[in-house]
Amino acid sequence: MIYLLILPAFIMLVLSFWSVQKSRFVLPLTSLLILFPAIKLFFLPKPYSIWGTYLVADDLSAYVMLVSSIVAIGVTLAMSTLGLHVEIKDRVYARFYRFFALFWIGLTLSIISNNMGIYWIGLETATLSTVYMIKTNSSLMARKEAWNYMIVGAIAISLILFGIILIYTSFKPLLGEEAMNFSALLKSAKEIKSPFLFEIGFSITTLGMFIKMGFFPMNLWLANIERASFYPVAALFSGVLESAVIIGFFRFSKIAQLVNPLHLFIFVFIYTILTIFIVSFLIYRSKDFMRLFSLSGVEHMALIALFWASGGVFAALLHFGAHAFLKPALFLSTGILESKGKYKIAGALRGYSGVKGKVFYFLTALFLLAIISVPPSPMFFSELYGFGAMVDIAKKHQHLLLMIGAIMLLLVFLSIIFYKFTEIYQSMKYEGVEQKRVVYGNEVLALVLFAFSLLALLTPWSFEFLRSIS
Amino acid sequence: MTSFLIGLFLATLITALFTMRLYRLILWYSLNSLSLALLAITIGFHIGDNSMIVSGFFTLLLKAIFIPYILKRISLRFSLSRQIEPNIPVYYSIMLIPALLVFTFYLAEPITNMLSSNANYVAISISSLFLSLLLMIEHKNIAPKIIGFLSIENSLFLLGTIATNGMPMLIELGIFFDLLMAIVVINLLFKQEEEVKE
Amino acid sequence: MILYIAMILLMILLSPLVLSFIKMLKMFLLYKKPISIFQGYRDFSKLLSKEIIISKETSQITHIAPYLVLSPLLLTLFFLPPVSSGEYYVSFVDAFTITGLISLSTFFLMLLGLDSASSFGGLGSSREAFISALVEPAMILTLFSVSMMANNLGVGQAGLNLSKHFPYEHMASFIFAGISFFILLVAENGRIPVDNPETHLELTMVHEAMILDLSGFYLALIESASSIKFMIFASLFASLFLPFGLDLPVVLAIGVFILKIFFIAFLVAILEVNTAKLRLFKVPNLLGIAIVFSFLSLITFYVLGA
Repeated sequence: MIYLLILPAFIMLVLSFWSVQKSRFVLPLTSLLILFPAIKLFFLPKPYSIWGTYLVADDLSAYVMLVSSIVAIGVTLAMSTLGLHVEIKDRVYARFYRFFALFWIGLTLSIISNNMGIYWIGLETATLSTVYMIKTNSSLMARKEAWNYMIVGAIAISLILFGIILIYTSFKPLLGEEAMNFSALLKSAKEIKSPFLFEIGFSITTLGMFIKMGFFPMNLWLANIERASFYPVAALFSGVLESAVIIGFFRFSKIAQLVNPLHLFIFVFIYTILTIFIVSFLIYRSKDFMRLFSLSGVEHMALIALFWASGGVFAALLHFGAHAFLKPALFLSTGILESKGKYKIAGALRGYSGVKGKVFYFLTALFLLAIISVPPSPMFFSELYGFGAMVDIAKKHQHLLLMIGAIMLLLVFLSIIFYKFTEIYQSMKYEGVEQKRVVYGNEVLALVLFAFSLLALLTPWSFEFLRSIS
Repeated sequence: MTSFLIGLFLATLITALFTMRLYRLILWYSLNSLSLALLAITIGFHIGDNSMIVSGFFTLLLKAIFIPYILKRISLRFSLSRQIEPNIPVYYSIMLIPALLVFTFYLAEPITNMLSSNANYVAISISSLFLSLLLMIEHKNIAPKIIGFLSIENSLFLLGTIATNGMPMLIELGIFFDLLMAIVVINLLFKQEEEVKE
Repeated sequence: MILYIAMILLMILLSPLVLSFIKMLKMFLLYKKPISIFQGYRDFSKLLSKEIIISKETSQITHIAPYLVLSPLLLTLFFLPPVSSGEYYVSFVDAFTITGLISLSTFFLMLLGLDSASSFGGLGSSREAFISALVEPAMILTLFSVSMMANNLGVGQAGLNLSKHFPYEHMASFIFAGISFFILLVAENGRIPVDNPETHLELTMVHEAMILDLSGFYLALIESASSIKFMIFASLFASLFLPFGLDLPVVLAIGVFILKIFFIAFLVAILEVNTAKLRLFKVPNLLGIAIVFSFLSLITFYVLGA
């Protein structure tokens, strides 16, 4: 199974050294292969041991794996016409795929790992390879941001490892070398001898992850990077890399919940509220699509973390899925809207004609409305369930009034974001001049893929599946 | 002996914070890694842990010799600026560094009561993490930032060596691999910059 | 008691030799024809036979100050840690007294520089004040931390204690103190990264600027004061940071001590050859490192016990 998972990436890595002209069309086709092992993994009985106790797939990782591979395929689909929207050399494609392959190997390792160390190794590989993917854009800003990302990413990643070592230390007297295994940690979390050491380790790890997702003190670096890189890379960032980070958060916080649930909740709660507070105003002030979407991505990540920490597993996973499909879709459509480097918001949605254009227009409008959780969107349901979970946890601790106040505050922040997005939507639709714009088939196909995946998330079957993940 | 090497580790790191020349900084980094490697080898012999001795030798070869050599090659090849003035004036560093150390030592005090062996050194490794972060923060140039990143890696290794008496071999090898990959990526980034300039 | 007096006399006698040894070694390493190792004594006797010329602008201070520069240092020699374990020593003198005596000597040196009313003297004095203000806290902290490690605040007793129970468990803080003290040794004696004792260039002079107007016997006093100062620092370093060989038979112990002194002189010479002189406003950086290390040594010892 491990070979099956990594084989497509490996083929891509080899092919990318081939001559540019020949590999041009083979590479996207190879990238389609990553879907099959993910689907196969999804239907295998769980927990399925892929490699001893090191790599074990459970429902959570299978779900994240499936979502990530669909996103990756959508992105590579849209990638093949990147050259028609921006100026890019052919050589860059090969480079992109070379590092995409490395990225995918790292990502797979970190998603299906049952071992803190392997999780970290995968995450580091994925991070380092994305550094180079930013540089596919050869603008000055991209160069600067690649270095920035290298530095910030390195700090975040090192903090994560530091925390992991501390957690390992705190469990080692109990479990020996087994103390690296998530499942073993979960089993013996209640008997831990030195909870303080664990909590320091956990908070350092979480801090690293939060930095990597662009939370409170480091809000803008992610937006800058996504602005500087090409749109498929930005889509990969928000759709795939973040999922590898958040699955780590899921796993670590599960253990922390057993050690001291209240500390975990308060820590995450304060952190996410602060993040959403700042991000909502940053969104209100942002002037281009890319920053807008990436900041809203930060907001959604904060919401996912908050829902998960308050025990709303279903809500968090639903929100995660919706975010993973919606954000890349929006980034891809941004790339088309901003074609040839002009990013004017006014009138961006006008001037699409023909069947492709109409479909594109319709889908983009739909995604824009879905991201601010207008009812039929999965985001709406997940937020509903998530706030429900928060109220539940407050009932347990007799802080109901406080919690309702906090939720009200959150809703105020969310409504700021809502207002900004509706304003932008109106400006896109009704202002500005009408221009002739082009959309290509594969891009529409990618968007349709995302739309169908979103619909699939809303079926009762998938609701049931998500509920079964605990 | 352990205490001596740990002292050397922290001393080289602090001296690196005051360094204003790139090659000198690389030298301090190399000495830092050297003391780390010797530390791992000593502890490994002491507790009879072969994997720790092996990773100590890896550190010696990779971090004390290979990476400083590569860094020097990179800086020669891409003619990086050799004058590295810290952003934070030395007057403030003199106050900041001891404050940081006191803070981390007291932060780690509850930890030291929990571990039985080598407990104090956890505090030193946490403080060396903060000092490496400071090294990254206080410089504007890219080369010292890279060295700061590598020193963070060193302090992680110190924590892994001291607090846990060695992590599983597989993980350590993975970390070494990632370090190598980081060096490759850094090299590529510089190379691209060169191409763009041409 | 006889050994004690004899040791002090020996140190005074040896001190010009050590400085000329450094000079000789440096010249040898720079492929120059080295001076004789006894050059220090020759200079001293030459200065004794010369006439004293004093500028007419000076006050009484110029006549008093050379003695007052030398005498605190001579007094400090009495308080140093013992060379051999059977020797008599003064146990109660702590870091503050030793630092205070040394800075008293520095104070009169600065007065001497100001008194001649030449522009160089004032310049040298202000620079010296600037450097010694940074040296003192570091010196107190370092000596304090080492004596804490030796379980006794008296420096003399601390040297003996260290040789009996070497603080293996406090090795980390011991190293920090050692690094700090070596920097102080270099800085306070005006060796190369801080001051160049051999030039008379106004941009770099510190120590030389203050004594530019002196001649004859007074200059001889000041020169011997500076060599005794180096001796004090070297012997403090030798007995606090290289504390071995005290239990040997007396003659051997003294021999080991002299070897240690020359080893330190060798280190200083190597350092001088290999480094360039720092710009004056970079000197605080070096001394800053010394302060950080001395403080670090103290807190590592207190908080971590390492």
